[in-house]
This record gives sequence, structure tokens and C-alpha cells, in this order.
Amino acid sequence: MSLLEGLRFSRGDSPLHRLDPRVKFILTVALFSASIIFFDLAPLIVIFLAQLPIVVVGRIWREWLKTLKGGIFLAAIIFATNLGSLYFFRGQQLTADIVEFSLALTLRFLALVTSFSIFFLTTSPDKLSLALEKARVPYEFNFAFITAIRFVPVLAEEAQTIMDAQRSRGLELDKGSFLVRIRKYIPILLPLIINSIRRSLELAEAMESRAFGATKYRTNLYELKMKLIDYIILILSLLLIATMIYIRFYLPPFPKLITF
Amino acid sequence: MGVVEIRGLTYSYPNASAPALKDVNFSIGEGEFVLLTGPSGCGKTTFCRCINGLVPHFYNGDMKGEVVVDGLSTTDHEIIELAQKAGLIFQNPDNQIFALTVEKDVAFGLENLGVPKQKMVEEIDRVLSLVGIQQLKERGTHELSGGQKQRLTIAGVLAMHPKVIVMDEPTSFLDPLGAKKIFDVLAALNREHGMTILLIEHRMDLAVKYVNRIIVFDEGKVVKDGSPGEIFYSDETRLIGVGIPRVVELSRRLRNRGLSVEGAPLTSEELLAQLKSRLGPVKRGAEKGAIKGLNELAGEHSHSPLVRIEGVSFTYPTGVKALDDVSLTINSGEYVAIMGENGAGKTTLVKQMNGLLRPQEGKVYVDDLDISKTSVASVARRVGLVFQNPDDQLFAEDVEEEIGFALRNFGFPAEVVSKRVEWALNLLDLERYRKSSPFILSGGERKRVALASVLAWDPDILVLDEPTIGQDYGQKERLRHFLQQLRAQGKTVIIVTHDVEFVAEGQPRIILMAGGRIEADGPAKTIMTDFATLERCSVAPPEITRLFSGLSGYGFPSDVLDVDEASDIIAGRLGEAKK
Repeated sequence: MSLLEGLRFSRGDSPLHRLDPRVKFILTVALFSASIIFFDLAPLIVIFLAQLPIVVVGRIWREWLKTLKGGIFLAAIIFATNLGSLYFFRGQQLTADIVEFSLALTLRFLALVTSFSIFFLTTSPDKLSLALEKARVPYEFNFAFITAIRFVPVLAEEAQTIMDAQRSRGLELDKGSFLVRIRKYIPILLPLIINSIRRSLELAEAMESRAFGATKYRTNLYELKMKLIDYIILILSLLLIATMIYIRFYLPPFPKLITF
Repeated sequence: MGVVEIRGLTYSYPNASAPALKDVNFSIGEGEFVLLTGPSGCGKTTFCRCINGLVPHFYNGDMKGEVVVDGLSTTDHEIIELAQKAGLIFQNPDNQIFALTVEKDVAFGLENLGVPKQKMVEEIDRVLSLVGIQQLKERGTHELSGGQKQRLTIAGVLAMHPKVIVMDEPTSFLDPLGAKKIFDVLAALNREHGMTILLIEHRMDLAVKYVNRIIVFDEGKVVKDGSPGEIFYSDETRLIGVGIPRVVELSRRLRNRGLSVEGAPLTSEELLAQLKSRLGPVKRGAEKGAIKGLNELAGEHSHSPLVRIEGVSFTYPTGVKALDDVSLTINSGEYVAIMGENGAGKTTLVKQMNGLLRPQEGKVYVDDLDISKTSVASVARRVGLVFQNPDDQLFAEDVEEEIGFALRNFGFPAEVVSKRVEWALNLLDLERYRKSSPFILSGGERKRVALASVLAWDPDILVLDEPTIGQDYGQKERLRHFLQQLRAQGKTVIIVTHDVEFVAEGQPRIILMAGGRIEADGPAKTIMTDFATLERCSVAPPEITRLFSGLSGYGFPSDVLDVDEASDIIAGRLGEAKK
């Protein structure tokens, strides 16, 4: 699932990484809504191109390209199904309209993927959790969120070890009928579940030992502070949303780009 | 009054038939460095949980008597308060790290207590420099090595300004030098900051250099309490089955042979000083390899190659190059130990031997057959691999089924399966657990079931990953005898281990690894005396070998690893000097 690569934070430092996560979220919402309110190729090309400088500023173009590569298969499906269905429903004639519309929808998908990448690739889970905290999400939920992220690689490694141990005992996962194969996952799932229960008990002990839940007035090592740049980006993002709505609903429709 | 006071402590877990602790009484003074020891299941871990109130608040159950930590009784105060008096650290650092970055994890306890940010920043710098990882402050916690993770957990409890630190086998997963570094951190805290430390540890040879008091538990009771000298030189301790430092064992043997050993030497340095004064001026003459004949014992195997690894390189998808052009041959009947630092590629190497991992470059042959096209299941028939943690493989309803699992996978007929299961149960002394669920067995028993489940199909080559982790002295001894038995049957045995003393006793061929490469490969006596290479691979030499390297100027051979040989040589020389 290389499409999901675009959602995995990788440590880095850039103006985009340093942006307040709340502001970055608003920016992402602005980019996201810009991509979904338009159905025409012309504005979507502009939106897509306008996101590229942000990707460059965030120094995430390599990860972003990887994400796009993962998304290309899905993009091709979107293009093909739109083109195909419109072709059949509109009198089996390949018109310029149909091609342009299908291209627009495909580009819209890529623009959406880019807007998500901009947020998730540059926002550490710690900052995300801080933003959630500021949004009054209860700490227990926040803690669970961070713990889940913390233990994903640990559990993945454990699952791999269990699989290796059982394969060393002659378990062949890829042999037999569908039902037989499902049964073969029992020797892998059981140790995984039991280890997880054991682990959660140990975690609980360690949490208790470090005064978890001692006070309601919990402090946080990391703090969010809005800087000048954050306010500027916030205002620009809100302006962007307003402009998009104005263009979409109060201006005449866009000219078509493709003609045969 | 001591910083920890235990009075008449008796405790049973909920629904337990027998108490885990029975009438425990003692007092620990401020600044003491105490080792808690005893065979598996003796109650020492339960005792640790009593110090910060996990028992009784977290575990419930039935507690009598009193535990007072820095003036607070654990029954009247909550864990939250007690956590600021006693910091608990457990065996597996991964299950105690909650945050994604180092500084944030140190802050975890302080955040919980509502400490203001500025104060937290100061505390983080203070405790990270105490444990020596200040340069890692902003690092992601998943990027740390095992040793760094364990230091982080120490920093995390130090930040809460405890009076006592309690650690339950903190170095189990670390390589020998990594373990020593953790002890150095603890020793500095103890000496320079007066921190009281209570510790459970199986590496006696290492621990004895640091602690000043030992408390021995057996069946929930404190059976001995005293200085390391008193404890280790007492016959009672031996009967309980507690590991004894090798130097102590050697001194006792020398005494039994009628030689006088003064006081109670615990480390090679102490014994060395005594021997030197008795040997007089340095003698020139026979040095290394005075007793050549013993070397050959290590090479009694035949010379038909069984596993051949040729120029193998392997890189994980994450980009970590775990093996870098590794070549080696293992002959049939050999006993081999693969040692080296954490992350050196040892486990990756053994996973190549049954095809779990396939080399990206190079070839692996088992019995002259290139296994690159062979399924794991068919290579596994010849190469049995037993993993480090039995919990990563046990799943069946009862022990019998667990042991028969592989046999059924390999398609043995039912009567053969039951015969082989019977044989394996018998071999590892597990008959009485035949119908028990593997999950209710103790750690050592679970390890034996895992071993039996591989031995059942009688592979020619047996590979054991860290077989001694978490095993007490008696269990290790049993394992050692068992491996000897297997070798007598002509099996090829390969172990991956950090346990230097276990290796010193069995004297296998040793393969030392660092950074995905083989740094040295040869008989135990050659490898264990090459201190520079050992250090490069994060392995510490055995205590006895350290002693003999100090004696090499006196005409002693320097390549002596185990107590038996050492006592023969020293008794021979000193006896001679007497006449």
C-alpha cells in the first residue's frame, strides 16, 4: 500500500514542519475544499500546480512522488470508469466533453492526495496530539492515539517473529484451500493476541509506576504558540476558501480546454 | 530507620492457592546497592511490585504486614504518591516507553504530575546527562538501541526524584558490554548521588562487582541476607541453586584442595592480587598454550561440511544492511556459538540457515544442496530453529498438541507423531504437563516446551536463539547438560547468545559478529583471549580468562576459560611451590 506512504510522518525540518498544526489543518482543509468544489479541468490544473510549491517548501517532494506513484493505479481506474460509463450512457460517442470531465476527476483525485500528504507528511503525531488536546479531546483518547502509533512497529515486528517461528515448525501459509489457509492463521493469531494481553498488563504497570492520571491539570512538554507566519497562513487559507466559493458560485463557468 | 522498611509482609495474588511472599522482614538503608536473587518463581518480582504499591493497589490480592518507603506506608498511600519515592524499571524497555521522542518520554511522569514546562526542560537535561544520553534528546524512541532504551527508562524514573530505584532484570536483552554500561550508570547514581538501588539480575559475575548487599529469596521467603562475600561463600546459598560468581567457585575449589585463599575474593582482580603476592617475582618461560591437549577437545567433530554460507549479504526493506558478505562453514557434529553486539546480524544469519530469509547476494547450502529454491518447511526438517521467546510460538490447547504441531505439518503418520511426542516429552522432563495448557506453565517450562516442539522431529542441526535468557542458574545447568547429551548423539548445535560464562563452560567454536560481518571465528580458547576483538564486538571476556590474562607473566597459560581447568592449573602450581 504505497498510497498510504503519504500518510506516514517522516521526521524533517522545514517551514511547513514548523507551522502550527491547527493552521496547517485549516490550510489542508482549504486545499481540500478547493479540489472538491470544482469539476472543471482548468481550475483543477491551477489548484494542483499551486500545491507544488508547498510540497517543495516542505521538502517532501520525494515522499509525495512515492505517494503519487502508489496512487497512479487508482487514478487510472477513476479515469477509465468515468470515461467508460459516460461513453456508454451518452450515446456511445467519444466527445471532448467526456474526456475533459474524466481528466478533471482524475486530477481532482491527485490534488486531494497531495493535500493530505502535505498535512500528514509534515505533522508529527506529537503535534497532532497537541492540536487534539487544544481541541478539547480528552487526554485518554490522545494517549491511546500516541500509544497506538508508538506500538505499530513493535507489533509488526512481533507478528513477523511469530510467523517466522511457526514457519520454522513447518507451517505453510500459502498451501491448501481458502478455508484451510484461514485455519493456518490460528497459530499466528493466538500468540499475537496473548502477547498483546501480556504486553498491555506490563504497560499498565509501567504507566502506574510513572504516576499516570495523578492530576487533572496535566502539563505538556510541547506547547503550541501561534507565530506571525501562522497568522498569515491562517488568513491566506481563509481567503482562499472564500475566493474559491466566490469563483465557483458567482462567476460564469469555465471555458472548456479540450476540443476535437 | 531505613528508606525501605518491610515488616511481616505476606502476600497472595487473587485466586492463588499459596502465598507468593511469606513473612518477609528487613530494612534497606539509604545509599545501599542491593541484589535480590533466588531461583525462578521465588517471589523476587512480586517483592519489587510491593515497593511502589503495585501490590496491593494494582494487583489486589491479600496483603498482610507493612511496607514503608521513605516514611509512606504502601497500604495507606496511592501508587501515584509512591511512584515519586520508588521508581520501578522492568525487563523489557519497549513496554515502558510511551512517547515518540526521547525528551517527551522522560517528561511523561512529570506531565502526569502537572510539573510546569520550564521545570520539565531542566529536569530532562539533568536526567539525560545522568544516564549519558543527552545527545539523543530529540531522537525518536523507535530509533534507539536496546541499551539506549533501557537508559531512557532509567532517566524516566529519575526525573521523578525517587529515593529508591527498583529494577527487575534490566539487562536481560543486552549484550555483555551494554549490560556493563547499564551497571556503570547505576553505580554512578549510587556512589555520586546516594541513590538506593534494588536490583534483580542473573549475571552474577557482573553484578557482584557493584552490589554491597545480597538478599536471597526462596519459595517466597528471605533465606539469606548479607554481604556478597557472606552470601556466596555460604553452603546454604549453593543448595538453593543461586548462581555463584566463577571467581568464588574457583576459590572454593582451591580451598577444597587444601590451598589457603584469604578472605572472600569476588572478582578476578581480588583473586589476582592474592595469587600474585604468593607467586613471587615474574617468571619467564612457558606462556600461552602450556596445556595444548585440551584445545583439541573443542575440535572433536568430523569434517564433513553441513551448512555452507558463501558470500551472503542481506539488507532489510528498511535499508538496514544486516549481513555484509558473510561466509562460513559449519561441520557436522560441531558446537558453535554466535556472539556479538545487539544488532550485529546474528539472528539474521541463523534465519538464512533454514530459508526464512533469502540472501540477496551469495548462496546458502545445507548438505551440499543450494536452498534458494527450497521451501522453509523442507529445510526446517534438517535445521530446527528455536526462537528466543517461547511466547512467540506457543498456541496449542495442551503441551502434547504443541509438540506434535510440527510433526503433523510435516505429514508424519499419526502413530509416528504420538511416538515422537512421547519421546520429546520424556527427553525434556515434561510428561506431567502433557495435558496442561502451555500458557499456565512457568517461563522456564515454556522454554522447554518450545525446545521439545522442535526436537520432536529430530533435526540434524539445532539452532537456539538466546537459550539462556531469563533462565536461572539451575535451568542453565540443565540446558548445558542437555546440549552435551545432544552433541554426544552427533547433533550439530548452534547457539546465538550473549552469555559469556555459559560459553566459557561449554567451549564451543565461537563466531564473533559486528556490523553484519564476521570479525573472528575459531575455538573458544583463541577467541576469548583476543580481548581487543571481543571489545569491538561488545563482548566481555569470562572472569576466569581475565584472571589468567593477569597471570600470564608467571608462566601460566593465558587461554583458560572455565573453573575446572583453572583450579587444576593453579593448584598444580601452588602445590608444587609448597613442596
